[in-house]
Amino acid sequence: MKEIRFENVCKSYGKTEVVKNLNLTIKEGERLILLGPSGCGKSTTLRMIAGLEDITSGSLYMGDKRVNELPSGKRNVGMVFQNYALYPHMNVIQNITYGLKVQKFPKDEINLRTDAALGMLQLKGYENRLPKDLSGGQRQRVALARAVVKQSDYFLLDEPLSNLDAQLRVSARKELVKIHELYKQTFVYVTHDQVEAMTVGDRIALMYQGHLQMVDTPENVYNRPANIFTAKFIGSPPMNVIDMAFDNSNDSAYLAGQEIPLQEEWRNYIRQTGVKELAFGIRPEHITLSKTQLKNGLKGFVKYVENHGSSYGVYIDLEGNEIIAMSESNKWPPKEAIYVEPRLDKMHVFDKQTTNSIGYPTSIR
Amino acid sequence: MHAVKATNKRMSKEQWLAYGLLIPTLLIFALFMFWPFVYTIYLSFFDWNMVKPTKEFVGFQNYIDVLSDPNTYKVFGNTFLYIVLLLIINCSIPYVFAFILDLVLKRYKNFYKGAMFLPSVISLVVGSILFTWILNPVSGPVAIILDWFGVEMPIWSKMDGWVIVVLSLITSWKVFGYNFIVLYASINGISREIIEAAKLDRVPLWKIFFHIVLPMSGATGIYVLIITIVQGLQYVFTPIKVITQGGPNYASANAIYHAYHEAFVLYRTGHSAALSILTMAIFITLLILEFKFVERGVHYEN
Amino acid sequence: MKTSRFKSIPWHIVFMVTIVILIFPIIFAIGMSFKPLEDAYNNTINFLPIHPTLENYLTFFDSMDVLKITSNTFIIASVVTFFKVITSFLAAYAFVFLEFKGKNTLYFLLISMIFIPFSITMIPNYLVISDLGLSDSIWGVILPQLADAVGIFLLRQSMKTIPTSLIEVARLDNLGHARIMKDIVLPLVKPAITSTGIWFFILSWNEYVWPVLILKTVDNYTLPLALQMYISSEGGTNFTVAMAVAVITMIIPLTLYLMFQKYIIGTFTSSGIK
Repeated sequence: MKEIRFENVCKSYGKTEVVKNLNLTIKEGERLILLGPSGCGKSTTLRMIAGLEDITSGSLYMGDKRVNELPSGKRNVGMVFQNYALYPHMNVIQNITYGLKVQKFPKDEINLRTDAALGMLQLKGYENRLPKDLSGGQRQRVALARAVVKQSDYFLLDEPLSNLDAQLRVSARKELVKIHELYKQTFVYVTHDQVEAMTVGDRIALMYQGHLQMVDTPENVYNRPANIFTAKFIGSPPMNVIDMAFDNSNDSAYLAGQEIPLQEEWRNYIRQTGVKELAFGIRPEHITLSKTQLKNGLKGFVKYVENHGSSYGVYIDLEGNEIIAMSESNKWPPKEAIYVEPRLDKMHVFDKQTTNSIGYPTSIR
Repeated sequence: MHAVKATNKRMSKEQWLAYGLLIPTLLIFALFMFWPFVYTIYLSFFDWNMVKPTKEFVGFQNYIDVLSDPNTYKVFGNTFLYIVLLLIINCSIPYVFAFILDLVLKRYKNFYKGAMFLPSVISLVVGSILFTWILNPVSGPVAIILDWFGVEMPIWSKMDGWVIVVLSLITSWKVFGYNFIVLYASINGISREIIEAAKLDRVPLWKIFFHIVLPMSGATGIYVLIITIVQGLQYVFTPIKVITQGGPNYASANAIYHAYHEAFVLYRTGHSAALSILTMAIFITLLILEFKFVERGVHYEN
Repeated sequence: MKTSRFKSIPWHIVFMVTIVILIFPIIFAIGMSFKPLEDAYNNTINFLPIHPTLENYLTFFDSMDVLKITSNTFIIASVVTFFKVITSFLAAYAFVFLEFKGKNTLYFLLISMIFIPFSITMIPNYLVISDLGLSDSIWGVILPQLADAVGIFLLRQSMKTIPTSLIEVARLDNLGHARIMKDIVLPLVKPAITSTGIWFFILSWNEYVWPVLILKTVDNYTLPLALQMYISSEGGTNFTVAMAVAVITMIIPLTLYLMFQKYIIGTFTSSGIK
């Protein structure tokens, strides 16, 4: 079993707690993305797996073995660093083979592995170049190759693509997935980029301020966010979350002082949870806009329109709540009245106090 | 609990390695720096001549002797004059030069750096002998040129005041370039954006120097200030020793040379030690004053 | 733009004059060292040797065992440099890459020694060297110089520029510190080691204060000590010979400097004092 398991793991530097009571199991062979804004503890979590950071309390298991005390070199991990950490004085081949040589692998084996890695990562012909004579993308691939040839059980990547330009990032992403399909190591990938997380990950673990927010598949993280933070972090522009009043006596719901006709299932579901203070969430792309009254429309005023290229982000004032909706057109003059209709089959409801999602009625998707 | 133990275990292995790597340095430092420091304090309470088998404990007598000797005050006065001259020639001027090279001059930068630093690699004994001839009051080239203008070169090696000025100049010949380079590096390290912003705002050069460059390179400035005082006085030792031997009548001796003279010419180790300790005490006082008054305006990066 | 070029001209003049003042003595010495004594006395303004001669150099070679003195200087400078670099490298490695108790205190203690005046340590050091039977021996000159705070400082600055991730990669490959030191840190700080080494060599070659206390017999002298014998405040009579000795004393440091100028200046411009 090559799984990684955190049990009540805490990490603090002096009095600052960076990772708070982490419980997380990373399954053998899966691609798990550690996602979150900077300073959320995701890199520290990865470095604890690598053994580059001590664990303050709790236990870390790798393949059923408690590894808190195991030094880095004995954990059988390959790692790719954000700055690639290539040895500047060694050429491509030396960088890739150095670790294997030191660990006294047989020469044939080293050559075999290196050759495969060079071919796969299109580094043939660059063997004798120094890192300074390579492009950013090539450097990144050398770092990848160096981690790959170790054929370790665990593959750790710390923001490996963040120093590449946008176009290169797309192809590098595919390459990473391809490599993983080949070797099937347990793959842990740290990033702050949600697109990377969505495209690369089997599962995403979202962290914020040292707390694990949600662990699930990219689909579920997007469609069924576990709390307001997740809802707002994933997706761009972020999900609109505004207060919702719910009248238990007649099952009617109000947004910004205007009633919205929730579906029967939702009304029953909300009543059953008995949550007092609610927040309503809707993604910008799940809002219909109109200049004239709509059936389920809420009245608001246009604040301004932002060009997003393929579509426009319309900022709307809804009785003091700012929401954003995506629109194909930009014909929304500021200060004019606008009617907003959320697609109620795509709505989310959160408990304002705990910020957690109250869940979804079983019949809804 | 486990984790803490493990950390300690790894720490201790690393610690032993660290101490192991430091042992050669620590041995040399202990034997030739730390121990001598303590032993000099010890010697300052004894009457001894380096040869006698026994040292006689005299309490504070050495300090009393040193402090009641008029030559001590003359030497400390000289030391003070050396410090003032070295601070002007080796600290203030290189500071301005480094500033100008970095901000005003665009061409010949590398040549200026290379040429200014050049004397720093030459022995001060060489410097001393060159300048005794170049500044020879009768037949030296400087005397001859001054003579064309009807100016008579003072016989500096025999004159109070002048002798200190010339010896300071000789020392500066060697130290100037080094300080200049160190200060240049520091000024050059200041973010260009800040200086360019000031230039765009048409801040006059002298204001850029005093309001931006000086505070932002202050850490290095203080380093140079301290080595100018401490090492400068050590450097001056060489021209004093080879040119004037502290003469005429102690007029060129500084605290360090005087301590040397007491110990190795007059064989009064107690006096020498007491003098060194007093010098050290004055240095420390100066440093504390410096930290109190100069440091306040300094901006430390990191 | 035009105005700023005009403003810079007076400063160029100031810099040029300063450089002439700094460099003139060296050219003066070289010129004079090739002049016959009478020529030199008659005309100190014109330092160009009109009747060039090696006589001054020959006089020096006749009066002392120059080879022995030069080799003394060379041995002292080489041994001192070799050990200083090694001790500084090891200590700097500990200060940068290892965690240990009292690290900061110890570093501060070592570095503060840069600011201790020579007169504090001279008597005890003299006595220790005498007790070891090393007075009037080049080994007595060498011994106290085997470790150096400046070296630790410079190499530490250089090692601090190595990204920690490089060391972490090595740790993931289960590399020990010996390996990391030899295969990674050493090659990466080689330029700093070279320039620090050259600087140490030059400093030691020029060292005067300590050797003059220890070395007594002319045969054990170093070049600066030999040169010192030609100085007196009146100038003495062997003016041109003295210049020849001065040239011999400075030729090695000057050559090293001219060869490695970029390196040496680089050490001080990149190390940054904080």
